[in-house]
Amino acid sequence: MDVDRNMKVPINQLKLMLPVVLVAVLAIFPIIGTPRVWLLYLFLFFVYLTMANMWNLLAGYSGLTFLGPGALIGLAGYTLVIVTWNDLPFYLGIIGGGIVAAAFAALIAVPTFRMRGIYFAIGTLVVPEALRYVFYLWKPVGGEMQGGGAGYMIKGIGGLSLTEFYWLALAIGIVSIFLMRIILRSKLGLGLAAIHDSDRAAASSGVDVFRLKLYAFVIAAFVTGAAGAIFYIYQGYIAPVSAFNIRWLMICLLATVIGGIGTEEGPIVGTIIVVFLHFLLARYGALSLLIQGAILVVIMLLVPEGIVGLVRRKTRNYQSLLQLATRR
Amino acid sequence: MTVEVLSGLYRPIIMGVLLGGLYALIALGLSIVFGVMKLINVAHGDLMIFGAYFAYALMTTWGIDPILSLTMGIPLWFGLGFAIQKYVMSRAFGISMEAPLIIAFGISLILQSLTQIIWSPYSRGLEASYALGGISLGITSVPKTYLLSFIAALVVMLVLREFLRRSYLGKAIVAASQDKRGAELVGINTGRVYAFAFAIAMATAAIAGVFFGLTFPFTPTSGVGFLIIAFGVIIIGGLGSMLGTFIGGIVLGLTQTLSGYFLGAAAQMLFVYLIVFVVLAVRPQGMFGR
Repeated sequence: MDVDRNMKVPINQLKLMLPVVLVAVLAIFPIIGTPRVWLLYLFLFFVYLTMANMWNLLAGYSGLTFLGPGALIGLAGYTLVIVTWNDLPFYLGIIGGGIVAAAFAALIAVPTFRMRGIYFAIGTLVVPEALRYVFYLWKPVGGEMQGGGAGYMIKGIGGLSLTEFYWLALAIGIVSIFLMRIILRSKLGLGLAAIHDSDRAAASSGVDVFRLKLYAFVIAAFVTGAAGAIFYIYQGYIAPVSAFNIRWLMICLLATVIGGIGTEEGPIVGTIIVVFLHFLLARYGALSLLIQGAILVVIMLLVPEGIVGLVRRKTRNYQSLLQLATRR
Repeated sequence: MTVEVLSGLYRPIIMGVLLGGLYALIALGLSIVFGVMKLINVAHGDLMIFGAYFAYALMTTWGIDPILSLTMGIPLWFGLGFAIQKYVMSRAFGISMEAPLIIAFGISLILQSLTQIIWSPYSRGLEASYALGGISLGITSVPKTYLLSFIAALVVMLVLREFLRRSYLGKAIVAASQDKRGAELVGINTGRVYAFAFAIAMATAAIAGVFFGLTFPFTPTSGVGFLIIAFGVIIIGGLGSMLGTFIGGIVLGLTQTLSGYFLGAAAQMLFVYLIVFVVLAVRPQGMFGR
């Protein structure tokens, strides 16, 4: 009996241990003298992963093709500016950035959820464009010389190094993965799945469509905002053009679509590829964008379910073949 | 006092109407694709800018007049549109709701970086001797380019309108946009009709690109902002109506110049986007839509 139990436990423990070990290894990377470039790309990986995860929650699970993540990230970045310019600590800026992004999401949810399908997509595409002009005009802190098109430096982060940025990004990346797991296995996740398949059917079987979408939207906005604030702590500088930029959407879209939209592992696989592409193509500037655009089109045409979806289909086929073979 | 206000308003109103013509010209192609295939071609703005760069290349290398260069631009863009729809988009429609949108986004990225690689990110402009300077309209003078764009928009709109009403292909396009299966039942090859609709939309994008390039300086990323404006135009104008699109353009042009007049130049674009957003939220079927 003892032997039997010993045989069973290690497998479960292994499953549990693997992520823990992985996180521990990732966490000690900056201490053991990993090259700065590596840390930088890992930092970007975690930030992008968080954004892609949240975008996947919206587009892949909630039926919200949200084209304005730049709005949330830019708002969070500017919240960070306001917080740090008022001599408050930077971590309040991260939390504040998340809260402002979430509040903004709740605010625009009322008009945008009225828009169906493609209208929602375009309605949310307009939002960052409009906000960019708001921050050209509105100078929340500082004198005449700062703000507007010239942008702001982020204050109060002088004591921080890449190690701290890295840990922040690692933390939010892990939070986003766990959050996805929890949400998808909760009642909210079930409701979202129903909405994703057919919001009318979901509504008629008692799912409060608006409320569940709102929850998903606000949660995703909070985490995306916090990740955006962490990015701007690293960047140290924010300006309307780069903050409310379509680039953010591109990262979320690429990572999710390449990995597999509507799959939990998709954004992880996709973000690895996106960051790797950034690393490979960093020297080529515009050509890098060209290749990323081409990859987006090719993946969507040939493997619309993404890499994870493809692997799943293949292994399922393989498994069912195996089952057929072993049964006979 | 009132006379002064009115005469002060005369210029922004005239400018707004003319600018609205250019907006309508940009939006016509988007309107056709949206009306027929229910696809927001997010690459439309970039295809237009690509057209402006094409005319720029012909102008700088061989000294060909930008408007004359459309004799090459229109067939090329027509073919390009036909190919995009036939070989890329038609497959995307079968995949999922989001697939065509994402693919159009990918095409937009490709075009943006392609123009950047070929022509550098610097601002460019198209020039023609007859389009320089201003022309007097009543008590104010407007840039000739504005008037040219407005006339071009009016011509393209009327040609498209008559084409959709009278020609067989035009009627087939309208039929396919109203009821795809119904159109197929009466023997219309909707795949082919879609390809032609996309091709026509691209041809208008080439025209819009040239007149846009004559009116404003452009960079490889100018397309996105004007895509949103063009989308606002068709939302205000309502789906599938060429005349509605034209009116929508003028409404948006007036919104921009009048808010610029009253609230200052910096606020005008913000106000335009706000209007688009509000119309989307309140009446997504459009102000003049059914």
